[in-house]
Amino acid sequence: MTKHTRGGVRLRGVSKTYGEGAAAVPALRGVDLDIRAGEFAAILGPSGSGKTTLLNVIGGIESADCGTAVVAGHDISGCRPRDLGEFRRLHVGFVFQFFNLISTLTAYENVQVVMELTGRGDSRRVPDLLAAVGLSDRDAHFPAQLSGGEQQRVSIARALATDPDLLLADEPAGALDVATGRRVLELLQQTSRATGCGVIMVTHNEATAEVADHVVRMRDGAIVSTDRNSSPADAATLRW
Amino acid sequence: MTTALHKKALRDLRRRLPQVAAIGATVMLGVLLFVASYDSFRNVQASYDRTYDRTHFADLTVTGGDSDTIAAAVHDAAGVERIATRTQADRPMAIGATKLVGRVVGMPTANGRGINEIDLIAGRLPDPARPDEVVVERHTADTFDLAAGKQIRVFDDTAWRDVTVSGVVQSPEYLWPARNRQDLLGDPHAFAVVFAPESLARTLSARTTPNQALVEMAGSATQSDRDRVTSLLRSAGAMNIEDRGDQPSNAALRQNFNGFRVMAVGFPAMFLSAAAIAEYLLLTRLIYTERPIIGTLLALGARRHAVVRHYVWYGGVVATVAALAGVLIGGVATSLYTKAYASLLKLPDTVIVHRIPTAAIGFALGLATGVIAGLIPAIAAARIAPAEAMRGDGVRPIRIGPVTRASARWTLIPVVFRMALRSLTRSRRRTVATMVGGVLALVLILASTSMLTSVRAMVDTEFDQVQRQDATVLVAPGANDVDAQLQSLPGVAVVEPAAIARVTVVVNGHPYPTSLTGLEPATVMHGFRNPDGASRSLPAGGVLAGAALANKLGVRVGDDLTVVPSTGPARSIHLAGLVDEPLGTALYSTNATARSITNAESNGYLLRFGNGADRDRVRATASGFSGVVAYTDNRAVENQLRSYLVIFWVFAGATLVLGALLAFTVIYVTMTINLAERTGELATLRATGAPIRRLTATVAIENIAVTLLAVPIGLAAGVGAGWLFLRSFNNDLFSLHLSVGASALTLAAIAVTAAAAVSQLPAARLIKRIDVAKVVRERSQ
Repeated sequence: MTKHTRGGVRLRGVSKTYGEGAAAVPALRGVDLDIRAGEFAAILGPSGSGKTTLLNVIGGIESADCGTAVVAGHDISGCRPRDLGEFRRLHVGFVFQFFNLISTLTAYENVQVVMELTGRGDSRRVPDLLAAVGLSDRDAHFPAQLSGGEQQRVSIARALATDPDLLLADEPAGALDVATGRRVLELLQQTSRATGCGVIMVTHNEATAEVADHVVRMRDGAIVSTDRNSSPADAATLRW
Repeated sequence: MTTALHKKALRDLRRRLPQVAAIGATVMLGVLLFVASYDSFRNVQASYDRTYDRTHFADLTVTGGDSDTIAAAVHDAAGVERIATRTQADRPMAIGATKLVGRVVGMPTANGRGINEIDLIAGRLPDPARPDEVVVERHTADTFDLAAGKQIRVFDDTAWRDVTVSGVVQSPEYLWPARNRQDLLGDPHAFAVVFAPESLARTLSARTTPNQALVEMAGSATQSDRDRVTSLLRSAGAMNIEDRGDQPSNAALRQNFNGFRVMAVGFPAMFLSAAAIAEYLLLTRLIYTERPIIGTLLALGARRHAVVRHYVWYGGVVATVAALAGVLIGGVATSLYTKAYASLLKLPDTVIVHRIPTAAIGFALGLATGVIAGLIPAIAAARIAPAEAMRGDGVRPIRIGPVTRASARWTLIPVVFRMALRSLTRSRRRTVATMVGGVLALVLILASTSMLTSVRAMVDTEFDQVQRQDATVLVAPGANDVDAQLQSLPGVAVVEPAAIARVTVVVNGHPYPTSLTGLEPATVMHGFRNPDGASRSLPAGGVLAGAALANKLGVRVGDDLTVVPSTGPARSIHLAGLVDEPLGTALYSTNATARSITNAESNGYLLRFGNGADRDRVRATASGFSGVVAYTDNRAVENQLRSYLVIFWVFAGATLVLGALLAFTVIYVTMTINLAERTGELATLRATGAPIRRLTATVAIENIAVTLLAVPIGLAAGVGAGWLFLRSFNNDLFSLHLSVGASALTLAAIAVTAAAAVSQLPAARLIKRIDVAKVVRERSQ
């Protein structure tokens, strides 16, 4: 990996195709994208537009077939899976639509386990992380004892456990009701503002994108527009 | 591993407690069986060795030639520890009303010390001042209820002489009371062993010099020392040199427990394999359900080796606990089993040692089972693509194979059956693993069942098809009127003369001591079977020999054998055929041929009883006839064989029970895991109103179909395993053929299928207990 600048995303000519021959489905077609370090970006688009694939490429979950991807100062184009794992461990946090919490561990332990498995982070920070997502009093609860919103907040705390440069969120409010979803967006916005950690959120909901500093619109695997939002909406007041 | 992962693993294991317990129990049983059977085997061996060392059991027993000259020839040979000569002879005896051919054994020293020392267990040793005193061997005392002061009559070739029992002894030569290697199992009332001071032994044997030399080699003696001593003995005129391993009692006992060595490895291996499969399935299932979580953790940068270590830990912790329990309980079982064995055979010395290497190997095997079984799914877990985190329900698209495609058109078949059929190909690895579980269960059941049925068949063959006589009567030379007396006995239907003699077959200088039985040309007292199983009759000329002789001496049908009778010159005789007999490797010929070999008249009669014969009365009356020197009831021989096999029955029976338990365990684990993979589908179907009974039937159809697919493979593998186990018992003394009837195979198949069916009961309960709302809610998130 070549180190360039810290933070931010720069993609040039990134393409990704699933399948081969007649069954080939192009997911990304020559995407160029710049997201500044510490920025809250929203990738917006309908189903099948390639936004999740784009998020995966940025997060080093999948490699692009061609093009270059420089994320958090590292060129991850053509990296081996092992190097991508190292990259994610050091720089990226993920929040998924499905919370994917370990049902046999408490909220506290679900955050702690990531520190153990990655060898990053200090478990003494777990209470602070849970406090930051408003779950200080729920740390001993198991996922089954938490609401959907609470579970998603635990997953945000988990994503922040390794102190990432970039937080990638795939439809973080997609499985939540409006009020709970708003609370999660608020949390992401606060996190971005308070820690300087960049946030890239994938969503198909126009309204939720209003909280972002930078809105990227996609269709059929290509970016159709990128807009800077000089006055992003406050998530707490958002309605959809 | 650190705290949170420990907690996760322990809680996961607790949530799957029934399966984990079943896997743990299987590992535990495998380790237990290994530790108990292997250490017991070693203990029994050590117990014999201690007795043999303490009593200076002879390494070589030499007969034939001038014993004093033979002993002198090796007196100063390197490696020789002790030498003794003595007189030993088989003599007609009368103990109470029973007539038999017993054995008189001379005591080279008055106190029984020296070589083949005897242990006095009741009364006292013969008083040198009272020349008619003898001591009797323990089995003889037990059989005939003999104690100090009782009288025995011994025929010394000219007259019956009375001797008085002064005590009861135990001898290393008769821990198992066998007359010779070919008669390891005989009628206890037809054999007795009497130890007499050497002078009295010579008198009773009508000899003036000893006829046996005993040699004990030093522990430090090398093989070349032994070879040199053997060579010196032969040069000095030794006719037959019997190694300690061929000593009848020792050979019988070693034959009896040698099978444990095979079982000590084979059966635990099966248990551990079954446990490994069950654990592999359990972990695969766990990882399957945790794919999104693993994907998430990997997306968050979790190290792959940490993921591998985490899932291997599951198998490791279960195996560690189970293996420890197996080692501990195995230790207790070792003590119990060794004690029971020693007590059953009344061994004078019992060694109970718990060997650390055995425990360590047992523990390592158990642990390795857990770790290896866990490693494969753990590696698969670490290879999960982080993108799996995007899949909320963890459901992966099924492979559309030809069966699935074809079954879409089988619209006449109820959809329940089509679902079950497709599920077979849905996860091929799981289907194969479930089948392997069924196959292992069948192997375990059939390996033990086939041993039981084959040994039973061996006993039946020996006493129904081979030995067809009900009793054997030995007579003194010249007792010509016994024939008519036996014919007139109430209950006796057929009487045939027979010539029974001890002979040694010599081929290329290699001697093989055995027996020669002469029979009537069209005898109805003995059945002869070719090695291919076809019946045959006695040849007019030449001899028939047990098939093992061909391997033992490298002879073929048509070869000439040198047969040396106990008295008289050696004869060359044509080998007319080989016969397949379950017990022993003996020679058979017509009476005429036997007489020409032994140079003696027929010395016995074989009796066949009519229906309702009073066996005890026939024995008592026949034994009373003048000229009758021994009477053997064949049913007593059969009973002796059955008692000899008691330990075998118990072991095989216990294994059968364990095999059935294992079958149930493996099938239960695979079936419940199978079911767990369908929780979402089943919950959805229940949500749509499908009745529980119908859903249970769907799952049962699939699970039982998998079991049925495994049945033919399992039957073949089980029969093969049984054949392998039986092969380990075969030698020139026992010839076991695999005998597994259709009924045994059918019952085994039914048992395994029934185990699969029974394991659906907990499955049905699981379906009933599915929290439909919870599952559907979780999967929609």
